[in-house]
Amino acid sequence: MTAIKFEKVHFSYADDEQTEEFFAEEKAFSLDGVDFSVEEGEFVAVLGHNGSGKSTLARLTNGLLSPTDGEITVFGLDAKNPKNLFEIRKQVGIVFQNPDNQTVASIVEDDVAFGPENIGVNREEIGQRISFALDSVGMSDFRHATPTRLSGGQKQRIALAGVLALKPRVMILDEATAMLDPRGRKEVMDVVLRLNREEKITVILITHFPEEAMLADRAIVMSAGRIVMEGKPADVFARETELEKYALTLPRQIRACRGLRQGGIAVEDTMDENAIADAVLAVAHGGNSVVKKVTQQDEETKTAGDGTQSTAQNPEIAEEGAVRCDHLSFVYNPKSPFETHALDNVRLEIKPGDFFGIIGHTGSGKSTFVQHLNALLKVPSAQKKYKAKKPKKGQPIPPKTVLTVNGFDLTDKKTDFKALRSKVGMVFQYPEYQLFAETVFEDVAFGLKNFNKDVKETDVETAVREALETVGLNYEQIKGRSPFELSGGQKRRVAIAGVIVTKPQILVLDEPAAGLDPLGKEEIMALLHKIHGDWCKTVIIVSHDMDEIAENCNRAAVFSEGKIVVTDTPKGLFDDVEKILSLGLDVPFTAKIAQKCREHGIEIGCDYTVSDFVQKTLEYIKTQGDVTRLTQPEGGQIDA
Amino acid sequence: MRDVAFGQYYPAKSFVHRVDPRTKILFLIVYITAVFLSDTFYALGVCAFLFVLIAIFSRVPFKSLLRSVKAVIFLLVFMSVLNLLLFDGGKPLYYLPRPWRWLIITDRALYNAGFLAARLLLLVLGSSLLTLTTTPVSLADAIESLLKPLKFIRFPVHELALIISIALRFIPILTDETGRIMNAQKARGADFESGNLFKRIKALLPILIPLLISAFRRADELGDAMDARCYSGSKVRTKYKKLRYGWRDLLSAIIGLALLAGVILLKIYTFAVI
Repeated sequence: MTAIKFEKVHFSYADDEQTEEFFAEEKAFSLDGVDFSVEEGEFVAVLGHNGSGKSTLARLTNGLLSPTDGEITVFGLDAKNPKNLFEIRKQVGIVFQNPDNQTVASIVEDDVAFGPENIGVNREEIGQRISFALDSVGMSDFRHATPTRLSGGQKQRIALAGVLALKPRVMILDEATAMLDPRGRKEVMDVVLRLNREEKITVILITHFPEEAMLADRAIVMSAGRIVMEGKPADVFARETELEKYALTLPRQIRACRGLRQGGIAVEDTMDENAIADAVLAVAHGGNSVVKKVTQQDEETKTAGDGTQSTAQNPEIAEEGAVRCDHLSFVYNPKSPFETHALDNVRLEIKPGDFFGIIGHTGSGKSTFVQHLNALLKVPSAQKKYKAKKPKKGQPIPPKTVLTVNGFDLTDKKTDFKALRSKVGMVFQYPEYQLFAETVFEDVAFGLKNFNKDVKETDVETAVREALETVGLNYEQIKGRSPFELSGGQKRRVAIAGVIVTKPQILVLDEPAAGLDPLGKEEIMALLHKIHGDWCKTVIIVSHDMDEIAENCNRAAVFSEGKIVVTDTPKGLFDDVEKILSLGLDVPFTAKIAQKCREHGIEIGCDYTVSDFVQKTLEYIKTQGDVTRLTQPEGGQIDA
Repeated sequence: MRDVAFGQYYPAKSFVHRVDPRTKILFLIVYITAVFLSDTFYALGVCAFLFVLIAIFSRVPFKSLLRSVKAVIFLLVFMSVLNLLLFDGGKPLYYLPRPWRWLIITDRALYNAGFLAARLLLLVLGSSLLTLTTTPVSLADAIESLLKPLKFIRFPVHELALIISIALRFIPILTDETGRIMNAQKARGADFESGNLFKRIKALLPILIPLLISAFRRADELGDAMDARCYSGSKVRTKYKKLRYGWRDLLSAIIGLALLAGVILLKIYTFAVI
């Protein structure tokens, strides 16, 4: 049976004045003649860059929007007829992007009950439906919990349960995983897959993540309000040049497969690490397969990683771009029922020139640590009220906290914290939410004027121009516009410009690429490298994305339960796959393949970026593997 | 910041925590009435005795209760001073020469000021014991349930309850967000702690504007999410949670009525004596 059918659907936001005023960025999100249908039980992924019309498609389907032209039918019901709305919304549930903005009640079960209450289900059955829905998403233990205290993935599963309680036949996920960390994304995707496979619920998954789209039966690519590509996900991703045209990127796994295939290893496009590993192993053995020892170079990088720890005692190297930290602890709400030890005796050294990664899942203490770096959180001895306490008799004197950032001593309350903040820039998660001024110019200039009250207008103009151009925006075009009428990606750039306008020597960014489409992510990371090569000595990024860490950082620290568990190069970190996984974190898929090869006595020895992985794997096979089993490469000869 | 429970609620498992929130609200009304009816220290003593008893049973630490008094301490002192100075009648406790006459305090004024202060203190302590032992959510439920009769005069009880519920739900989220925006602006050199009043208010703009915009955005998204989950505010709507009275509520009702009766009896008795 056809679940959803679109016939020549047109839609534009232009008529809606309210939308224009507050959310002008959505003006682009229109539809221009969409024909599209979904069969019951199908799993369809919808891809497309920001503003391509994906979300509009979702909203039209369950009557949150009405088409300007064309026909939409849902299980045979006309979606344009207001009388059918109630019935359609019972059949088609939507889970939205922001987990915080979908919950109406402060207790999980009350929130799940909201839908059934609305359609007049009786009490006993609501109770049953709550149990069923929470069970389906694996959240039964949290029935009486408060949503605010849950993780992003858990909150989103509650939102799923809230929709499931209405017993819908179609479930739409409108970028429902975009704001989650990898763990949360996996939680949600596992539930969605199960619902589709076992409960036979039709799923329409709107997403930026190609990895997720690969799970679907069918993928649709949208661009400028039209459907431009359609087919099996693997086939869609095979059309590389077209994807590029629509501002989409290939999943890393597929990139690796293609690289290996070019080198003559027989491997189909797949997202499955095991399949790739098997293909590599098939050709790796048979030749003169000698177990390769850890190379000398590897040993050197490892000791370099450890060596930095011992230098923490040496006060000589406090300088621009450096962070030194020792015995740093922090407790939230001390001596109350809500007491939490966020940091516990943290010791870390970041050297000038580092592109440093900070890893750890939510609640590991990484955000608390980062906020210490520019004194948004202060160690006790730097607080105004602080008085040195005499150590109690018989108790050991606690070790002295050391925290020096860019040459500023953050344990001393006499430190000029304002000067520190102009030298240590901090970009928070979703920085676009801090924009406030009437024009882009004023917003970017805000920090500059705060740090230097007597700054000359001409200097401000030069600095703002430079900052905006650095983030890739056209100064003349954008300076006079309101920051609120820009697109999401532009807003983020303006917000970053507002921090780098003072040219900080250390720049700290919390998930700088979160929520952007893949191309936007790449652009932001490229931008950071550009700054890093220039006046910014040290870049520190907090990230959940292990590929991002492997591709961008030269060193990284892993936080867990308020402590730093390990500090090393990304290569060093991901060599020890089991350790990282045991901390509840993910590793790049290349590390999983390398691990499997290692178990079979093969050491690829790459830095876990896709290109290096492909290169090192091919090198290994040429030198130690069974070259005879390589297939003829697609585009040319293998050099002997 | 996320883990701080907003409001005053002190989590514990006590008799007082388990009483139906509607009973607690009604009991508080009875208690307040009793405090107002009391016109002697004896009667107030009865109220105070009962309060101390309930406070002990609630297992709320004395410190938390004291904190709620802190908030009204200025009002308390201010009222007492006014009462001491402005009350006429009674025997002066001491004499002062002419320009300082108004500083004279009489015995009746002292009694009066003390009595009013004690009364106010009991009221504040009683109300904060309610908020310390009841979550905001169950308070909202109780208010909805108690207001139900107003439906007959077309008062939008359900809508009001939903508004309260959503407001409560978003307080921690917006508090969190305020902290984040504040930190972001602080990192850009914003200063909220120095300068005169006008300057400080102006310094708040970079927080208030993003907060307001974010609230609108959230409201918009929440509206969509509610629509998508079939919300129409219609009459077919059912309610999953129902509050239920139990033996604790019966016991509370008896204690409440006893208090009221006691205070009234004391009132009649003192009248009879005079």
